[in-house]
Amino acid sequence: MLRLLPWEYGIRNLLRKPARSALTLVALATVVLLILVVVAFIRGLETSLATSGDSRTVLVYSIGAAADIENSSIPARTAGLLAASLEGVGEVFEQRLVSPELYIGTKVQTIPDGPGMFGIVRGVTPATPLLRKQVQMLEGNWPGPHEILVGKLSAAKLGCDPGELAIGMTIRFDNRDWTVSGRFAAGGAAFESEIWAPLESLQTALKRQDISLVAVGLAANADSSDVELFCKERIDLELQGVTESAYYAALQQHYQPVRMLGWVVVLLVAGAGIFAGLNTMYGAVVGRVRELSTLQAIGFRRRSIAISIIQEATLLSMAASLLAATIALFLVNGTAVRFTMGAFALRVDSLAILVGSSVGLLLGVAGAIPPAAKAMRYEITEGLKAI
Amino acid sequence: MRSKHLYLVVCGLFFCSAVLVGCSKSDPNSGTGASAAGSKFLLTAEPQNAKGIKEARGSTQDAEEITVVGRIGGDTDPWVKGQAAFLVVDTALKPCNEKDDDACTTPWDYCCDSDTLPDNKAMVKFVDANGSTVATDARELLGVKELQTVVVQGKAKRDESGNLTVLATGIFVRN
Repeated sequence: MLRLLPWEYGIRNLLRKPARSALTLVALATVVLLILVVVAFIRGLETSLATSGDSRTVLVYSIGAAADIENSSIPARTAGLLAASLEGVGEVFEQRLVSPELYIGTKVQTIPDGPGMFGIVRGVTPATPLLRKQVQMLEGNWPGPHEILVGKLSAAKLGCDPGELAIGMTIRFDNRDWTVSGRFAAGGAAFESEIWAPLESLQTALKRQDISLVAVGLAANADSSDVELFCKERIDLELQGVTESAYYAALQQHYQPVRMLGWVVVLLVAGAGIFAGLNTMYGAVVGRVRELSTLQAIGFRRRSIAISIIQEATLLSMAASLLAATIALFLVNGTAVRFTMGAFALRVDSLAILVGSSVGLLLGVAGAIPPAAKAMRYEITEGLKAI
Repeated sequence: MRSKHLYLVVCGLFFCSAVLVGCSKSDPNSGTGASAAGSKFLLTAEPQNAKGIKEARGSTQDAEEITVVGRIGGDTDPWVKGQAAFLVVDTALKPCNEKDDDACTTPWDYCCDSDTLPDNKAMVKFVDANGSTVATDARELLGVKELQTVVVQGKAKRDESGNLTVLATGIFVRN
């Protein structure tokens, strides 16, 4: 039976040269942290688009807009037509789930005479939050005329201080001042980076009578193809009906290269980390040739010593993973990142922790095997004479 | 040895029959891939006096019996998922791939004629005895595909905006 070196031996070895161990720990933690940040970015982007779409909500917008509702312009009467013509429209609290919306990208000034930043504004009605079930009011009230609701990540999207979007503050867009009446969250969905204004006020400010889209909530027995059929039958209106989940899935495809690039970065960082780990472990093992030969001389088999070396490296790398995960959870998780469609929060979720910890484990095991194998190739007599 | 000869004869017969089947002139409506439920909508002969889509949009009254001819298309996705319905376009319009120097990947959307397309487009819906649209995708039910020329019989449904929907009871697939 294989006689292993005591568990404490590996731990004591790590503490024997605390400076070297600490530096290795920091290097490994940095690698794992970098991986966690990249995976959190990918997961944040994915979650933001995935949670935005509901398969029971159909977005009806202009055929000419292709896949971007911002380019869509349809007659305002479309909402009434849909409500009157479709049998499968859902109802909540005696309110039909038909939400006409205006969706625009515009320059928003949070401070008077400031340069302003590009923001996303949605003209809404009381039906809107009935359809977007993720939306929760955090504070304040539903907006009245010339008032607005701001999403939790609006400040990140606008690149301003969150205080500038506090309740009672005034911001300016489309040549009109708007007072913040409340804040809302949307469970990580893209809506969180938007500003919601009453539809009529927004139409007046923009001197527009059209709308961008109508969101239709389906009744339990209805199918999205009923809305699709209506859109295709009404050739004169040039509409298309797409489920909200399909709309955001198409956007996910649009961001596929970014996600792929993220995973490539994860691989590159992990590869670089393994080489750095190898280098460190080689140095650590080469400096301990006499000690390892002594262990062989007193009867420990080479395999036991190799396992002990791997155990040391794994212990160090897992400690680094824990450290990196803690830092990521407290400092990285939830950090808002701006992108073209709005903003999203970095998500250090279970998958990110799994990927980070797996890479950490890989750094420890793969980084220790070659140096351990090299150390085992020394003859005992040669090793004992080594300086 | 005998079994070897038998094997060669069987193979030879199989080959000849395959060639004969392949060379025979087939009925255009046979082998379209229609499902059993869809075969009741397939017409064995092409109806005469079919109107073009543009003409039908101009002259047909609501609830009038009608026969129209058109090509399946008019949108990147001319189908309605899960329903026996599709868009047809007047045969006078040419899809993008039949025009010079056009490498459009979805020629059935007639994107080169977007200005005139709305006046040359109609919806075809296959309905059951209750007047409800058959809840099977048209491609599966009838074995049809984009840009096929079809002659459709049915009842016209018009609205105040001039849109034409054919509540179809029969279809002949020309090619």
